[in-house]
Amino acid sequence: MSDTGAATLGPVAVGDEMTPLARTVTQAQIDAYAEASGDHNPIHVDPEFARSVGLPGTIAHGLLDMGILTEAVARWAGGYERVASIACRFSKPLLPGETITCTGRVVEIDHPRGIATLELEAVSSSGERVLTNGRASVRLPR
Amino acid sequence: MPDQSHVGRRYQAAGQVVDGAAAEAFERAIGGSDDPYSPGAVPPTYGAFYCLFPTLYQLFGDAEVGVNLAGLVHGEQSFEWPTPVRAGDVLDATAVIASVEEKRGMTFLSIEHEARRQDGETVCRGRSLMIIR
Repeated sequence: MSDTGAATLGPVAVGDEMTPLARTVTQAQIDAYAEASGDHNPIHVDPEFARSVGLPGTIAHGLLDMGILTEAVARWAGGYERVASIACRFSKPLLPGETITCTGRVVEIDHPRGIATLELEAVSSSGERVLTNGRASVRLPR
Repeated sequence: MPDQSHVGRRYQAAGQVVDGAAAEAFERAIGGSDDPYSPGAVPPTYGAFYCLFPTLYQLFGDAEVGVNLAGLVHGEQSFEWPTPVRAGDVLDATAVIASVEEKRGMTFLSIEHEARRQDGETVCRGRSLMIIR
């Protein structure tokens, strides 16, 4: 399995911006996620069904969007195992072909515990706030 | 539909193996990375596969709770990893219905998840908020 390959994180201060990560999500990726997760809800894979329930077409799984947000954190933090927690709200759907851009900012550092807390957000290329109330904690290098 | 009487209902899925190949398939689905191989590390939100799905699918199939899947939306999710999870770990997953609330004509179902290694160490906790229209 590949790791995130991020460089070791240097000194971190409150207010630091996480390196943003932008990813375009294709229907093929959504199909692959449905296959991997066993979540075959037709709103993700069947455009006709999705339109029948009032969506503009298929939408990405929220956990797929969150996976990309988490990867952004892991890359910035220096690897998957530095991510101690992550949380978000699935506010708006991401549509196939759209690009999701994940950003974050350090809001707190707990030096004794070696933990930095970030606030996170992910926005789509159509300007929708896809993931909101995002928050992660990362284990800092000692 | 879920109601107050279902709070505390528990689901268990013992012996979930953290499968390195499946974690790689997941990693490709989220856009993956071409970066150097790091043995045993799994993408954090692969946690959905060993900590959430095995018990969530039991809950969704629980006729006594009667979740309307056609009206189901995943509202919020959190994960916490007290200890990093490694490929090959064998985990026992549990979920408990933490709360059921009616708001604005919708049902808000909150579920708490935990995955423990067989040595008793908790390696993942999660909280899912499902909104049912």
